[in-house]
Amino acid sequence: MPLQIQISKVVSGQAADATIKLAGSLDTSTAPELERQLAPVMAQPIKSVLFDLADLKFISSAGVRVFATTRKQLKERGGQASFVHMQPQIQEVFEIIKALPGVAIFKDTAEMDRYLAARQRSHEAGS
Amino acid sequence: MTLELKATPEEVMRAVEALRQFGVEHCLAEADIFGVTLALEECASNVVNHALKRDSTKNFQVTINQAGSELVVEVTDEGVEFDPQLAAKEASDDGPVGGWGLQLVRRYTDDLRYSRAGNKNVWRLSRRLGRDKS
Repeated sequence: MPLQIQISKVVSGQAADATIKLAGSLDTSTAPELERQLAPVMAQPIKSVLFDLADLKFISSAGVRVFATTRKQLKERGGQASFVHMQPQIQEVFEIIKALPGVAIFKDTAEMDRYLAARQRSHEAGS
Repeated sequence: MTLELKATPEEVMRAVEALRQFGVEHCLAEADIFGVTLALEECASNVVNHALKRDSTKNFQVTINQAGSELVVEVTDEGVEFDPQLAAKEASDDGPVGGWGLQLVRRYTDDLRYSRAGNKNVWRLSRRLGRDKS
């Protein structure tokens, strides 16, 4: 099963600096291609990446490793990686490995929007 | 079914796809197909990366058998002997990411055995079919 990667950069004011939509299989043979396509994205001063996994059917530790590396890089710049539309079998792999502690995993974009709105209100209340 | 494969990530996925097709043809549950294919991907990737050092001139074998309600997959190679202490160290490293493959193999199989016979490494994975039915 191949991997399709769709990267879109989001202008400021919206949910994430970059949204990465994945479809197919993220495994030992396809993970290097995701790394290659992420490199120029991460070379920019972005602080937030949203991975949309609605059509991701299979993931192995090689794929989780790419997510963990991306999360680490974003965390070092005060940012974060988030995940949305994760299929149950993919979420189970995340939970087994516990490789991505504290990442935001949203059921859908509505849940993500509520989370971001609440965070924004909290930020404004504190400023 | 027995497959002869070269030590590359693409060949690992060729074995995984063959196992997935085996599961479909034998009407296995989706949970079983996902579990065994992930376990094979992790195990075979470790063989390719560590035992065979991604040398595409080297081969490994995968055999797939179903006996009643048990699915058995064996991965055999003639590479470097497996070191369980090194694997345990990689799994617990806080620094570099990695070392999660064996955790996934153990979670998705019911029995995992490694043996060294002469110059061959043999990994035997088995899963009880239908075990995740509620």
